[in-house]
Amino acid sequence: MKFPWFKRIGIFFVPSTIAGWIILLSGIAFAVYSFLDIDGKSHSVSDTLMNFVFMLLIIGAIYSLIAYLTSRVWKK
Amino acid sequence: MEKENFEKKLSDMTKPEIQGLKHEILLADAIINAKDKSVVSWWWLSVPAFVILMLMMKSIFMPGTTFISNIHEMESTQKYMSIIFFLISPLILIMINALTIKKIYFLSGSPKSVNFLGTIRYNVLVIILSLLILIIYLF
Repeated sequence: MKFPWFKRIGIFFVPSTIAGWIILLSGIAFAVYSFLDIDGKSHSVSDTLMNFVFMLLIIGAIYSLIAYLTSRVWKK
Repeated sequence: MEKENFEKKLSDMTKPEIQGLKHEILLADAIINAKDKSVVSWWWLSVPAFVILMLMMKSIFMPGTTFISNIHEMESTQKYMSIIFFLISPLILIMINALTIKKIYFLSGSPKSVNFLGTIRYNVLVIILSLLILIIYLF
């Protein structure tokens, strides 16, 4: 596999290969799915937003960890 | 003939050229790595920070509840989630960032300057915030 998959710009990891874009798009797709799921269960807009932001931060944390691990050329 | 060859060999021989110092490359790599690590750490710290903010708002807007009581309620209802984000993740972040600072300090020749503090400021902030989250959760 050709590394690095991501490059860091500020606090975001931006994909630089197809594998990186696949990971980012999977994250976005999961975020959309969680929003629809949370929206279906919650009773108010604030309830939806609070739970969705929490989920979005978790997705961001996991994405940044994957991006960090694949943004370096690991020496043997 | 042999002597001439030997002289030619000697004149062709040059000192080995080093393009860049290995130590400099290591230090530059360590600083870039430290910045990357601090970014990942901020993302992982944002989750407990958001929860703390929400619990603070809950204690303000819901009469009869306090921040501490809300934390204890969360501990009992979201047991595993609270352990991961309020205990394990801050501890790991403290260890990773402390080791990173130690590595940069060692590679830059144990400096006692403001520039060094400027380089590692985000890692120090991550350690302070992680300690704060641990204190809030444990006490």
